[in-house]
This record gives sequence, C-alpha cells and structure tokens, in this order.
Amino acid sequence: MLGPSGSGKSTLVRALAGLVPHFHGGRFEGSVEVCGEDTRRTRPADLAGQVATVFQDPEEQVVFGRVEDEVAFGLENVGAPPAAIASQARAALAALGAEHLAGRRIAELSAGELQRVCLASALALEPELLLLDEPTSQLDPDAADALVRLAAGLGVAVVMSEQRPAGPLEVCDRVLFLEDGVVVLDAERDSAVRWLARNRPAYLDRHPEPPVSAPAGLCVCRLEHVSYAYGGGPPVVEDAGLELRVGEVVALVGPNGSGKTTLAKLAAGLLEPARGTVDLRGRAAYLAQDPGRYLVRDRADEEVALGVDGDVARASVALAAVGLAGFEERHPRDLSSGERERLALACVLVTEPDLLILDEPTRGVDPERKDALAALLRARAAGRATLVVTHDVVFAAEVADRMVSLGVPEAVHA
Amino acid sequence: MKPAPAAALFAAMGAAALLAERWISVAVIAAVLLAVCLAAASGRRRSLYLAGAALTALSVFLLTPFVETIGSHPIWTGPTIPVVGTLDVTREELAGGAVAALRLLGVSLAFAAYALLLDHDRLLRSVRAGRRSTLAVVLATRLVPTLERDAAGLIEALRGRGVAVAGARGHARLVSPLVAGSLERAYNLAESLEARGYGRPGGTRALQPSWRPLDWLALAGAVAFVVVGVLWL
Repeated sequence: MLGPSGSGKSTLVRALAGLVPHFHGGRFEGSVEVCGEDTRRTRPADLAGQVATVFQDPEEQVVFGRVEDEVAFGLENVGAPPAAIASQARAALAALGAEHLAGRRIAELSAGELQRVCLASALALEPELLLLDEPTSQLDPDAADALVRLAAGLGVAVVMSEQRPAGPLEVCDRVLFLEDGVVVLDAERDSAVRWLARNRPAYLDRHPEPPVSAPAGLCVCRLEHVSYAYGGGPPVVEDAGLELRVGEVVALVGPNGSGKTTLAKLAAGLLEPARGTVDLRGRAAYLAQDPGRYLVRDRADEEVALGVDGDVARASVALAAVGLAGFEERHPRDLSSGERERLALACVLVTEPDLLILDEPTRGVDPERKDALAALLRARAAGRATLVVTHDVVFAAEVADRMVSLGVPEAVHA
Repeated sequence: MKPAPAAALFAAMGAAALLAERWISVAVIAAVLLAVCLAAASGRRRSLYLAGAALTALSVFLLTPFVETIGSHPIWTGPTIPVVGTLDVTREELAGGAVAALRLLGVSLAFAAYALLLDHDRLLRSVRAGRRSTLAVVLATRLVPTLERDAAGLIEALRGRGVAVAGARGHARLVSPLVAGSLERAYNLAESLEARGYGRPGGTRALQPSWRPLDWLALAGAVAFVVVGVLWL
C-alpha cells in the first residue's frame, strides 16, 4: 500500500483491524469484512489472533519490560495453551533472527531491535491477516529487506503500508496506491509498476544520479579519536574520526546499533566524548530521530519559531520550504507522521546553522517528498556543512557528496 | 530467588521495623536493608531512593518533638504560641523521634530494595488474580522513567535547535508537552492493546517456573521474621 503522507494508508490499516470504527471515532460508511467477520459487529480484540497489526512506532506498543514477556502477551490474550506460549514466542523471535533478544530488557533495545520484537509479537499469533504499518522505517536496508521477504513467505495475507517501496514491490502480488483518502490504483504488481512508472516514478527503484559536488570549503567540525559509552556500558563509538566541511553533504550510514546517532550527537555538541576531541566552529542544529520531540507548542508556526526567538514570519518561510505551507495554525499533534517529520525538519532548518545534522530525516516521508528534501538540502548546501544519518541508501546516494559507513565496532574514517 | 518471595521478605523486614519494640532491633533491620540497597547497581536511581528514605526519616526526627508532648527533661524551651502552647524539646521526645525515624527509614529502605532489586514485570506476572490491575501497575511503574526519557528527549531536541532549557521556569514549560505526550502515548498503547486482544474473555497465562526450595525458604523466613519481630525484637 503506497501513497503520500496523509493519504489514508494508516486509516485503511486500522479499518482492516477493526479499530476503525470501534476504537476511533468518526463517520464510517460501507463495510469491511475480515476473515468472514463484519468489523462493524466484531470488536478488534475479537479479531486478534486472526488479524495481527504492527503499528508505526514500536515504543508505543510495548507493554512489558522484557522481550519474552512482550511476545507472549498477545498469545495469552488470545487464549493460547499455557504450555505452548513460551515456545511459540521463541519461535517467532527466531523467525526474525531475534532469538538472542529473548532475555533482554525492552529499554535496552535499539529502535530496530524493538521493531523486530513487535513483529515477533504479531507473528507469534500465526494470523491469517498481517497488517504492517511502515514496518521497515527503523530498520537498516539488510534488515528491511529480510523482513519484507519474510513477510512475503509467511503464506498469509499481508498488507504492508510502506514509504520505502523498492523492496516490497519486488515481492508483492498486488499494489494499492492511495491519494487524498481515495484508492487511485488497485492492480497486480506488473500493471502497478507500469502505472507507477507513468504517474509516480519516484516510487520505483531508482539509481539516482550522484549530485554535482562543488569543492568543499572550510572545516566546520572535526572529530578526532572520539569514544563514547552510555552509562558506564561498552563503548558505542570508539576511536572515531570525522571531518565536515562547508558546502559538503555527508551521509552517515551503517547497520542498526553501529553508533550513527551517537556520532552525530557528538558532532552537534549534544554529547561530550569520553575520549578524543570535537572541534566545532560555528552553530550546529540537530534533527532528532523522533519527530515527537518537536511538539512543544500548540501551533506549527510557533513550534518552528522557537528556534528563532519567536519569529513566525521566518517560521512560515521554513514551513513552506518543507511543503507545509498553509499548516501554520495546525496543532502539531494533528499532523500525520510524515508531516510531523517535515515540521521537525523546518524547526532545525529555520535556525540556518553552520552545521546541519539530520538523523533519519526520511522516516515516514513518501518518495516524492524525499526527492524534494534532497533538492532542498542540495540547494542550501553551499552555506553550511550537512551531515545526514540515514538507512535510506537511495536518499543518501541522491543527496550526499560523500558517504561514511559505520560498522560494528570499527572506527569511522572520513 | 523468585521476585515474589523476595518481595515478601522485604515486606516482612519493613513490617518488623514497624513492630519491633527495641530500637537496636529496628536499627539492625534498617542497616541490613541499607546494605541490601547498596548492593543494587549504583546510579541516579539508587541515589534518589536512598536520599528519599533519608529525607523522610530526617523529617520525622525533626518534627516529632513539636507534635508530641512527652518527657520531663527539656533540652530547649521555645516561645509560647497561642492555642499550640509552649514549644519545647525534651530528651524523651528526641529519643522517640529517633526511634520513629528509624522505623520509617526501615520501611522506606524496604520499599527501596523492592523498587531497585526486583523485576516488577516478573513479580506481577506471578500474581494469579487481578490481571487488569496487574497490567495497570506494570504500566504505572514505567511511567516515571518514561517521562524522564521524554523530558530528556525534549530538552535535547530544544538544545539541538539552539533553545536553552534552564531554571525552574524553563523546565516548567515542558510539563504541558510532557503531559500531552503521555496522553498520546497512552492512547496509542490502548489502541495496540485492543488490537492484541487484551480484555477478551478466555485469556491464558504462560507457565511460570516452579518455585525452588530457596523460594519457599524465603517465604517461610518472611513469615517467621514478622512473628519474631512482634514477639521478641
């Protein structure tokens, strides 16, 4: 299921789960029949077991503090035999390559690991219909690809809403495209691909031309031999070095848990390295992974204006630059996930920093908006250094002059 | 040891601290509980609980002489306040305050040990009755650390765009978005619970590991501790 942010994909997923109309208010017309049940008369809890849903944000779905308890929870709710619950939970984790996480605490998991746990919780139920709302948003490319192929091989009906369509398009049978709440395409894969090529080429697997790079200017930020560990634990970043120059867009890529966000925060001055030096010349602005951290004010323009001493005129310009013109009076919490991501981007762009650091800026953003974002970053690259932390290798190829790859646990070298 | 018998043991020690007659017994119980708490991983959380226990006990010690009127050996005589009477502090009141403070310290440290050392999820999953209440307690115990993480995230995001958060006023401005964020999180969690079948009849529970001899011994010890506390300590 593809479509721009705010087109209704998540709402349709919820309709299939019965959450619309039972959990969410509003006006409901027509009917939805799932596994022989009319969702107007069957509550979502009664559909659980036949239908399993994984929502966009894994952190807002977990109940327990330990992985094995979390995965077992759904099985308990649907009345699975007590003696079988633990083994079914372990099997679900193993199917996702996450069996090693069984005894771990949820709070210790990375975003990608947590998403796998949520998926395991759904798979454990052995549903007939699996609903996945942007399940790869927090996964690195290898993990995302593995997940998509796993979902395709389950032998159950799978509805996957995605903003990284390349992988799903390879394995799906059918494609829906939504726009403004309307299904504008419902076709077999090959026909759908031809339609996308004519009408929405951004959604197809692309090999974008690398950007035309201008010579890099002065060094804005230099990290030398930096190391960092959280709370006395093992080092997340060890003996890393990185140099960021004016006019240069650098993409920082790597698997989940490799230390990309930590390195980015060190560069932004939000963390002090345990060892090594960070030489930052000028102002840095950092866009956090979670757009929910940019919901402090009651209006979008006031939220953006926080970083520029309340200048709502500049905030309006920044909102327009990210495609949110006309959203000034909207409450940030009324925005869709992709719109919130763009609002967060406006919050940091408006400050016009010397070093702009974006941590996963394309999460929940549709391909057309990603192209617009890449163009925006390239257009404004001349005046600053830009560091983009991303799993999206297509976006990275489109926007970056240079790619730096973080492995586990090798150091980064610019 | 399973969390349930361990919790029973901590509760018994707290009860014994309240019930024991001799102050030396109360002091020993408090000392043992303090040693147990210090065995927990050091960090901000442990410091908070211990500081809270100490502060509570100190408050009781300081206030007791002014709310009780016992003894005939005044150490200090203060002003006469209408209705309240003459303020004074006697040796007996100080001694009584010290014992009351020790009791409260013992109870506070028992709770601190429960909070710091036990796996609350495992403890509450071992409870057979009151499944919905169990879940509510599980989620509530995670509320404070979740809010702390949210607040840290908000502050980091603000710092990331050059907005400093300083002073009481600056931090107070975070209360509204934190509350709104909590409500939104609760709403999304409720949606997830509904989708995962929570609340439908016929739910089961995963088999819990059987208690070992050490667990039964701890439970028996907890009962014995309370009895000994009442009768002899």
